[in-house]
Order: sequence, then C-alpha cells, then structure tokens
Amino acid sequence: MTRWILILAAVLASSLAMGQDVASNPGSAFKGLDQDVQSLKKEVLDLNRELFVLEEELLFPANTQVAVFVSMDVGTFFSLDSVTLKLDGKEVGNYLYTEREAAALLKGGVQRLYLGNLKVGNHEMVAFFSGQGPHERDYRRGATLTFEKGVGAKYVELKISDRQSQQQPEFLIKEWE
Amino acid sequence: MSKFTLSAGILSALLSLPVYAKDEVVPQGVFTAPQIVRDLYYGDVLFHFYQDDYFGSLTRLGASQVLGRLTQQRDEAELLQGALYLSLGQHVEAGRIFRSLLNDNVADGVRNRAWFYLAKVWYQRSYLAEAEQALASIKGKLPGPMEGERQLLAAQVLLYQERYGEAIHLLEAWQSTDDSASYARFNLGVALIRQDRLDAAAPLLDGLGMSGAASQEMAALRDKANVALGFALLKANRPAEARVILERVRLRGPQSNKALLGLGWAESSENHFREALAPWLELQNRDLLDAAVQESYLAVPFAYAKLSANRQAADTYVHALGLFREEGMRLDQSIAAIRAGGMLDAILQNDAVGAQGWYWQLAELPDAPETRYLYHLLASNEFQEGLKNYRDLKAMQHNLGAWNQSLAAFDDMIETRRRAHVERQPKLREALGGVDVDKLESGRNDFESRLSLIERDHDVVGLANAAEHQQWMKIERIEAALADSDPADRAFQEMREKARMLRGVVYWDLSASYKARLWREKKQLRELDVALKDARKLQILVGRAQVDAPQRTEELAARVGRLAPNLESLSARLGAAADAQRRYLASVAVAELEAQKDRLASYTMQAQFALASIYDQAATTPGLAQGAAP
Repeated sequence: MTRWILILAAVLASSLAMGQDVASNPGSAFKGLDQDVQSLKKEVLDLNRELFVLEEELLFPANTQVAVFVSMDVGTFFSLDSVTLKLDGKEVGNYLYTEREAAALLKGGVQRLYLGNLKVGNHEMVAFFSGQGPHERDYRRGATLTFEKGVGAKYVELKISDRQSQQQPEFLIKEWE
Repeated sequence: MSKFTLSAGILSALLSLPVYAKDEVVPQGVFTAPQIVRDLYYGDVLFHFYQDDYFGSLTRLGASQVLGRLTQQRDEAELLQGALYLSLGQHVEAGRIFRSLLNDNVADGVRNRAWFYLAKVWYQRSYLAEAEQALASIKGKLPGPMEGERQLLAAQVLLYQERYGEAIHLLEAWQSTDDSASYARFNLGVALIRQDRLDAAAPLLDGLGMSGAASQEMAALRDKANVALGFALLKANRPAEARVILERVRLRGPQSNKALLGLGWAESSENHFREALAPWLELQNRDLLDAAVQESYLAVPFAYAKLSANRQAADTYVHALGLFREEGMRLDQSIAAIRAGGMLDAILQNDAVGAQGWYWQLAELPDAPETRYLYHLLASNEFQEGLKNYRDLKAMQHNLGAWNQSLAAFDDMIETRRRAHVERQPKLREALGGVDVDKLESGRNDFESRLSLIERDHDVVGLANAAEHQQWMKIERIEAALADSDPADRAFQEMREKARMLRGVVYWDLSASYKARLWREKKQLRELDVALKDARKLQILVGRAQVDAPQRTEELAARVGRLAPNLESLSARLGAAADAQRRYLASVAVAELEAQKDRLASYTMQAQFALASIYDQAATTPGLAQGAAP
C-alpha cells in the first residue's frame, strides 16, 4: 500500500511541477492577443490624431488662428500660480496651474494656453502673471504686445525667465514667425 | 510517504522563475537631460509628456507632424514618439522607430537607454529574441545602477530561453557590488541547480543566505536563497545541511511557510519525527491558502504515525479531509465567479480613471475570495501585461465614445460654415465689384509718370497744392491779360511789375519746399505701392477663398463622413478585443485555481489512502485498535 501511494504521489507531483513550469512561461495565446491589441491600439492612436487635427481645423482654421504658449525658465525667482490673458481688451483665458503642471513647465514643457481666431490687422495682447516672487512674496506682473495678424497662423510665447543680474523674474511676450 | 514527491512542486516553483529587482521602468528615463525647445509645438508635447499623459502627448505629436509644425526638431520628436509608444506598451511601433532612428547621430546615452527600455518591455511580454537583440544594440555601459539592471535582464532573457550555460557564463563574468549583484547571484545559483550543479550553486546561495540585508527587499531575497538551497539539499538527500540553511529563514516572511515545511522534512529524513512536528504544527496555525500549510496537514499525521500515535494521526487526517473539502468548495465558488465575468471589473474598480501607461501597476486588490487565491498569479508578468492591455482597451473605448459625441458637433460646424458662406456671397460680390484694383494701379502709374516728369523738369509748380495751384493759375491769367496791354502805359507797367513780383514770391515758396515735397510724394507713392500690393493680395485671396472655402468645407465634411463609420467600427473591435482579453485572463485565473484544486485533490487522495492504511492496521493488529479512530 505504501509503495503504491509513493508511486501515485510521484506521478502527481511531477505533473504538478510541469504544470507550474508551463504556467510560469507566457505562451503563444498571450502573444497572439498582445499583437492584436498592439495593432488595434495603433489604429485608435491614428484615429485620435485624425480627429484631433480635424477638430482643430474646424474650430480654428489656419488663416485666422492664433496660439499663445507659456514657457518657464529655471524658476528660482518665481513660482507660477496663474496666468490671465486678454486680447483687444477682452479676457480670453484665465488658467490656474497645478503643481504637476508647473513642474512640467520647469522641466522644459511649453503649455499651449490659448487657441483662438483673430481677424487680419493690429491687435493688442496683455498677459498677467500671478505667483510667488523672490522671498516668497505674492507677485503679479503684466506684459503687453501689439502685433499684426496677417494671413496664416500666429504664434506668441509668454516667457517667464530668471534675470540673474537683477535677482528678479522677467516676463516677456515673444512673437514667433 | 516521501518528502520529495510532495515538495518537488515547491522546489520546482522556487527554481522556475528567475527573480528580478522591483521593476519600475520610467519611460521618461530615455530623456534625462532637460529638452531645449525650438518648436513651440514640440514643447507642447513635452508639457503633456512630463505629466505622464502619454496618450495625449502622442496624439498631439502626431497632429503636429501632420500639420507641419515641427520644423526644427523633427528627429527629437520622432525619438520622443518612440518613447511615447513604449510608454503605452506599443513595443512594435517603438521598435520600428528606434531601429530607424537610433544610429550614430544620436547621443550614446539616449540611444542606449532607448534600447534598454525597449528590451525591458519585450522581456515583460515574452518577446525574448527581440529583447536579446535590443540588449545587443546597447554600446558601452549604461549609467549607474542601470548597468546592473541590464546585465540582470540579459541573464534573465537567457534563463527564460533555458540557455543556462550562457546565463552562467554571463553572470560569472559580471562584477558588481549593488543590489542587482545579489539578484544575479540568486539567478546564477538557480541556473546551476537546474543543471544539477548543486556544489557550484551552494556557495553562491549560501553566501547570499548569510548576507546582511539593508532593506525588506534584500531580506526577502536572502530568505528565498536559503529556501532554494535548503530544498535543493533535501532533494540531494543532505538533510542535516538543509536544516542549518532553512533555520536561517525569518519566522515571519513570504518564505517562512516553505522553510517550516522544509525544516520538518529535514528532521523527518533523519527520523527525528518529534522534532519535525514543531515546524509542521506551527504551519497548521497559518492560512490554508498556502500550499505548504496544506501539505502540513499530511505531514503532521505522517509524523504521528511514525511515532505510533495512530489515533492522533487518524484524527488529523480526518480533520485535513474536512478542511480540504471546504477549501475545494471555496475554490469552486471562485472559479464560478470568475467564469461569470466579474473578476477584472472587481480588480479595476478602484483604479484611477485616465492613468495610462505601460508602467502602470495595480495598487490595490479588492477583498474578494478569487483575488486572495490569485496573489501570485496577479503578480506575474503575463497577468499584469494582460491586465494592462485590458485596461488600455477600456480607456480607448471611453476615448472613442467621447469623440463620437463630438462628431455630431462637427456636422453642425460644417453646416454653419456652408450657411455662412452662402450668406456672405452677396456682400462679398458687392465689395469686390466696388473695387477696381486695376484702375487704381493705372492711376498709380499715371501718378508716377507725372512725378518723374516733375522731377526731370524740376517743375516746382507741379508739386503745388490745390490752393497754391489756384493762386499760380490766377497769376498766369493776370499775366496773360497784361501781355496785350500798352507797354507804355504806366498803370499797366505797375500791374505787370506786381504780377511779376507775385509770381516770384509764389515760385520762391514753392521752390524752397520743392525737395521736401518731392520726398513726401515719393514716400506716398511707396506707401501707395504697399497698399496696392496688399489690396491685390487680398483681392486674390478673397477670390480664391470664394472658390476654396466651399471646397475646403466639403473636404472637411468628407473627412467627417469617413471618420464616423471608422470610429464606430473601431469601437466595436475594441469591445471585442477587451472581451477576448478578459476571457483570456479569466482562463488563466481559472487554470491557476484548477491547478490548486488538483493539488488539493492529490492531498485528499493521499490522506484517504493513509487513513485507510491506519484503519487497516488497526483492524488487523490486535491492541492497535485502541490507538486508531473508529
């Protein structure tokens, strides 16, 4: 009886061991599914791109488009809380930054703050920056730009950088060609 | 009953999977230096990338490429695109991009890191040949601890392909002092044991088993090494050595149950059954989910029987049979629940919506019976990768659902454009009809000709304003009238003199300001040229827009029309793929539970045979009936 138990137990144990080895190595079923999922996800990404482009072309045709970006330098002298944007006297944007977003700016990211439409001709842009300045005091500064909108998309960058010589932050508005 | 047959499965489990350090891949590690932005839209992509919004970043990057907004940083953008695809587990696309881009023009650091992360993703998804190729593409060393990870990964890729000799050679040649070296020693020990080279494996695992542990992770690895060596020694019939090794394992830890079981067998092998009972009885106080605990319910009565305590042995076997039966029923319930389809949703119910990415890890498990049985499976690469795929598919379905709602708005926008164009036509025609740019240009040319003549002839009067010109004409009329008068008449002489003086004064004034006036007229001519040029340009643009705008609107309408059925079909395919993934994961989970059930069935059978044997003995041996349960 005991020998019989031993033989049976050995067979069961070895089949269990093999079963565990097979289960631990992902098989062709997983890979097949994975490859299907890969190509499906690629299609979704491509479709997303097409829809994103289409939406932008419908809402903001290239001829009238104006895009305003925000970029931030090292951030020693200024910690950004919010930006308010006015175009021709009308407020078009008011953005509060999360810590994550501010960190992304400091790493070198550039935020597209505003996308809109403008007629051809002269326009005035005013941006107000609020945050913590040197010595952690509340800080609010503005910058203005008068620019001409021609035919074609217009890009403007609101640059926040550290001016080491004056130990102060600097706020500039730069037009891109 | 033999310790080897029952515990062979445990030893095999210890040796079947090489271990690896905690796997945190940060795709942003491909780009470690701050990026300099020369294209604003490249910066826009980075802004979302640094917030781990990989799907959004990839969409924006693709859109910027299509719209031609990346003129200065095309190559960086493509490399970032590869990293983003990798972040979403799209290793096929990432591999294609890296193969085409990662040449000698790319900085070594970026190139090597990209290949390393790609190798990791391929390893995780069991594309071992591809992982090996990617690792072979790394030139030189990786920075800091990444080099250790790379060596370890290379060894694992070989071990998974059962190329133990090469893995051993690689790990033996590698010298390191960081934590990854400990993992390397463990994996090398495993490889040697699998090649039946226990004497070579023993010093490695023994050294690791006695090392100090600066962290919980290293302490767990130390325990694992002791358990692996202990069981290998048991299998080699060296129980005394096995006992010493197994006694090093912490009493509370992930390996403690196996160690207690092994200790019991080590004692039992030397016929120290009373000593074997201590660790086995301790196991019976622990969670029955564990295989070692289940085995202890057979080991304890085995020891009792060896100590001739047949009554206790029989009682324990009966108790074990009851427990195994209940556990089997719980497993059946869990299998039914998984087959009913609720497992994945229960697992993901606390998941943060929107967080995506290949390196996403499941943070919390729901307290359901099926998840308790599946801890080890849930930690496996296969299940985690399958879960990521499922999760991504559901997120993409959600994303396409949102776009589906937007499509109705796109139709409205297009209709608004069509109407606006029709409404603007009459005003536009009227405005264009009222302006004759050709005539204006002709007038401009006349003006230029006259100005040239004035300049050539130094005709100061030509630049007189209206009042001055009138004055000059008056003087000329007066002179003409006086020309026929009597030259001897004194009065006429005076008048002629006055007229001459007046002419002189006016001429003097005009002459003094001639240069300034000429300059001003030329300036105005230049400004007129600019204005005419703008007018001509705008006329052309408006003319073109009259034709192009409706064409453009119809093109956009066609695109919307084409995308709508695509979206619908893709949504349906995503749903089908998510279902297929769910079914696959459920089948893997059920297979695991069935395997646990099979193990319980095996234990049950052994317990029944052993119990029957005790009853037989009690029935056939007088005096022993007192020691056996009825």
